[in-house]
Amino acid sequence: MEATLEASPAGDSPAIVADPVVDAIDRLKEKFPEAVTDDPREGYNGLMVNASQLPAVARTLKDELGFDYLSSLTGVDQIEDGKLEAVYHTYSIEKGGGSVTLHVQVDRDNPVIPSLMPIWPGADFQEREAFDMYGIHFEGHPDLRRILTWDGFNGHPLRKDWQEPFYEDAQKPFGSRWPEGNAVHRAEENNPYGKNVQYPAGWVPTGEEYDVETDMYSILKGNDGHTVDRATHMKTDKLTVNIGPQHPSTHGVFRMVVTLDGETILDLKPVMGYLHRNHEKIGERNTFLGNIPYTDRLDYLSSMGNNHGYVLAIEDLMDLDVPERAEWIRILTVELTRICNHLWALGFLLNDLGALQTPMLYFYIERELILDFFETLSGARMMCNYMRFGGVAYDLPDDVRGQPTMAFLNELVNERLPAALDQADRLMTYNEIVRARSIGVGFLSRQDAIAYSMAGPILRASGVNYDVRRAEPYSYYDQLDFDVPVFYNGDIYDRYRVRIEEMKQSIRIIKQVLPHLEATKGAPIISGKPQYAIRMPRPGEAYGRVENPKGELGYYVTTKRRSSNPERYHVRATSFINLTALGKMCIGHKIADVVAILGSIDIVLGEVDR
Amino acid sequence: MTLGQIALWGLVVGFIMSLVVITGFAYTTLLERKVLARMQARYGPNRAGYIPLPGRGKQERKLLKGFMQPAADAVKLFFKEDNTPAFADKWVYNLAPMLAVIPAILVLAVIPWAGDLPWLPEQYDYFAIVPGLNVAVLFILAVTSISVYGIVLAGWASNSKYAVLGGLRASAQMISYELAMSMTIIIPVMLANSMDLGVIVDAQKGGYYVFLQPIAAIIFCIAVMAELQRAPFDLLEAEQELSSGFNVEYGGMRFGMFFMAEYMKMVSFSAIAATLFFGGYRGPFVDQVPMLGFVYMFGKIFLGLFIMIWIRATFPRLRYDQLMSFGWKKMLPLAVLNFIVLAVVMVMAEEGAFDALQQAVLGIFG
Amino acid sequence: MGNPIVFGLLAVIAIGSAVGMLTSRNAVYSALFLVLNFATIGVFYIVLNAPFIAMVQITVYAGAIMVLFLFVIMLLGAEQLRGVNSEHWFHLGLSILLAGLLIVAFFIVLVMEGSTTSAAPMIDTSPTALGLRLFEGYNLPFLVTGVLLLSATIGVVIFGFSRKRGENV
Repeated sequence: MEATLEASPAGDSPAIVADPVVDAIDRLKEKFPEAVTDDPREGYNGLMVNASQLPAVARTLKDELGFDYLSSLTGVDQIEDGKLEAVYHTYSIEKGGGSVTLHVQVDRDNPVIPSLMPIWPGADFQEREAFDMYGIHFEGHPDLRRILTWDGFNGHPLRKDWQEPFYEDAQKPFGSRWPEGNAVHRAEENNPYGKNVQYPAGWVPTGEEYDVETDMYSILKGNDGHTVDRATHMKTDKLTVNIGPQHPSTHGVFRMVVTLDGETILDLKPVMGYLHRNHEKIGERNTFLGNIPYTDRLDYLSSMGNNHGYVLAIEDLMDLDVPERAEWIRILTVELTRICNHLWALGFLLNDLGALQTPMLYFYIERELILDFFETLSGARMMCNYMRFGGVAYDLPDDVRGQPTMAFLNELVNERLPAALDQADRLMTYNEIVRARSIGVGFLSRQDAIAYSMAGPILRASGVNYDVRRAEPYSYYDQLDFDVPVFYNGDIYDRYRVRIEEMKQSIRIIKQVLPHLEATKGAPIISGKPQYAIRMPRPGEAYGRVENPKGELGYYVTTKRRSSNPERYHVRATSFINLTALGKMCIGHKIADVVAILGSIDIVLGEVDR
Repeated sequence: MTLGQIALWGLVVGFIMSLVVITGFAYTTLLERKVLARMQARYGPNRAGYIPLPGRGKQERKLLKGFMQPAADAVKLFFKEDNTPAFADKWVYNLAPMLAVIPAILVLAVIPWAGDLPWLPEQYDYFAIVPGLNVAVLFILAVTSISVYGIVLAGWASNSKYAVLGGLRASAQMISYELAMSMTIIIPVMLANSMDLGVIVDAQKGGYYVFLQPIAAIIFCIAVMAELQRAPFDLLEAEQELSSGFNVEYGGMRFGMFFMAEYMKMVSFSAIAATLFFGGYRGPFVDQVPMLGFVYMFGKIFLGLFIMIWIRATFPRLRYDQLMSFGWKKMLPLAVLNFIVLAVVMVMAEEGAFDALQQAVLGIFG
Repeated sequence: MGNPIVFGLLAVIAIGSAVGMLTSRNAVYSALFLVLNFATIGVFYIVLNAPFIAMVQITVYAGAIMVLFLFVIMLLGAEQLRGVNSEHWFHLGLSILLAGLLIVAFFIVLVMEGSTTSAAPMIDTSPTALGLRLFEGYNLPFLVTGVLLLSATIGVVIFGFSRKRGENV
């Protein structure tokens, strides 16, 4: 139960000694001279890997070179070359620093790539997503089904040649539908009503000939009707229960198919995608700037953090500098968002443990203050749409809730929030029932947490000292003095405590930020003049990642020269990937624990389903 | 009194008390919502009905905002569509809500509400629907034990997995905690040497049994919470897991009847706890002014309800297996031990084993 | 034996529920009929001026045992009984035979005793009197029953523990 706050001193970047990324790339090329080459394209800095050699390369990368964390896995459609590409971002938990990026290209006609499931179980949902969106067949994946679209979906929607029923144009801004002032064309006419649903060949939509869910039910363990207990020679029936999609505690339209033996869970499969809107396709069609408000809607509880990751990726592509004041404001808003999100997460976790909303509503009191601040700052309480490339949209307001802004923030950080956290500690952390329900439940070991690509508080509750703010500092985090809270038991209780400690650290960060805000008063908040149409100065790829409250949030963006839209826009959605280990955490526990474990993962369905 | 008079008394008083408690149930829901809201930094229902007061200046002052909420709820429940799931077992599905409500009302029969009122019939020593029943405590146990049927059958008849799980949990939980409750309900019977609730109340003249037997009182209160499926023992309707469990398929007034049963049982079990351990209608000056008994009784019931609501607002829920092991491995052994120790001590005292000690103590102080 | 009308009514309910218990296809219905039967018998005891036994009857049989029955039926999902088969006819014949024997036995006893009186003996049936009678008149049988139940309880506990250990192996 002992908590240790492992401080890594500010500015001590491990990259100074010898860049582990360069080292790893060299050694990979040495070991696999034929299979691994530098990516020849301009602006790409990863490695091109031969598909057949991928598992061996990944195994070497993980076991020998220490790049043991598969952060992101996604597909890209290189339609001009007739190729489909899979992109893997791997990081080193131990050494921190940048990524070793692997690009694997296969033919569009026969896209088969070996699955990395045996090496990184965390590739599970991401490979299924790439299969769903691009039709890349991951050989060896035990359960390669569609994940975000439904089973009867026709085609693979992120392929560049796939067009949705009401298709208008490849990218925004769309041409006018009334160029002459008359109604000459409506989008609906592209595909009239009734004809806008396409079924794949052989699909019979009566539901009788082809049962949509047979595949899923058949893969569930213990769903073979009954098993015979060896000790008693008694037949025991297994019960398959669908928790959700309409259920009060799945945090949204989310479904878990659970096989039960009595009340004990034998197997669990998450089913998602009920809110899927193909955020990435929308993002590829949007202009760069026009996509910022869409990122708000991913994890709608922490929109500031979502903005931050996206603008970091685009600023990387544009080689844009951010003025000092803007950086401080960004850190302020992002850390406030973290507090906001954790208050919400803990409130709902306790709610899921059956504490009828009281803790949640207590946490709301402080959350309300933060949201009021966001409202005066950006005009919106939750969908802030606040950050811009090279800065932020607005300067700090003069006063908030009738108080001068700095006085308000000082009071918030020095009095209100610490008091609220103390109260939470006093009332809930040592509550007997909370401890009985959460200690030892939903255990995830250190190895599993890394292998399953867990991120954020879940990773750190399993004893992994990894925080993007420290491992690969962005913004001014390398100048700030804060600790990364790490707990070692990997259960619900430790995830709860990690979040409490993280809020305390966020308060500590904000306290350091406030003097800088005083000092830079009146300084510019955005570099250059605000621009609306951005032309990308260089082609290439960028992976902007931030430590969002729920964990590592990454944006993988590729673009062409002079392009106003991303070529590929992928979100490494924390909530989505954190669900990969849900089944593993739940097996063997009681059905009541599922809800608590799900609460401890802290998902937002907007981000899961995208 | 003839048999007919007894029956008439029972009918009239029973009718009045049932009305009182049914109204009381409605306001218990309001109390719960208001108290919960206040504990959670909210307002609670404050729209339906208020008493206008002459305001200061332009501002209108309103008293008791929201006091018509129960009436609004009742009207809403009555007019809601009352549908039956297609694959439900119609008979049992319709029977279950009634089986839930009937025991909740039946328990009221034996509860003494006030002492020897001047206008009571001569044979009656206290005011109750059926006074002087010499198996009153057993009656409570009997009625409690059949009150589980409403919930179990509702769960089964709904033909839904959640409801069945809720029903199964209900039966297991209620049977388990009934044992601990029975072991503690015996304590006041032993101390008062009667199963007549009026005698038990009168026997607490010197001191309430909660002071004599605090362990028994606490176990009884916990067991009652489990028996009522109140938080933190509300597993069978655990919203987070079973999305309200056994009554998930019910709507309209059939759901209302489950609701009604739950809150009426809250009222009646508060009354039973007050009677058995907290002196019932006894209180200062109750011998001089017997009407005060009603006041004390209602005060104690209110206190019981308040504590239940308070606990609901503050405690998370136990898990099912934790609940069971708590009931069987902690509560029941403790209750049995308490019972055995008390029995031994009482027999020893009767046989004079403590006489020497008593004399010694008296010798020191006397 | 109280009012003959009351008795008749109760008898009809008791026999009707017993028949319903036997004939209903659904095990849950059978259990419910049995509950009704037990409750009616509880009322019989009240009519016979034995409230203590009545309450115990309802608590133990209707309240506890039948809930366990229902629990098992619901847990196993065994509501629907199987159809008629040859074994079924054998059971039916056996039960009719046994029931006939029982009726004959009752008849013989009634005729031999010649007791057709409708009045139950007026004895003190208060819990106190009952307790005294039980502990003074029937002390040994009571103790033996208690020991039997206790050993059964211990047996169940041991059985449960060994099962658990077996599972771990």
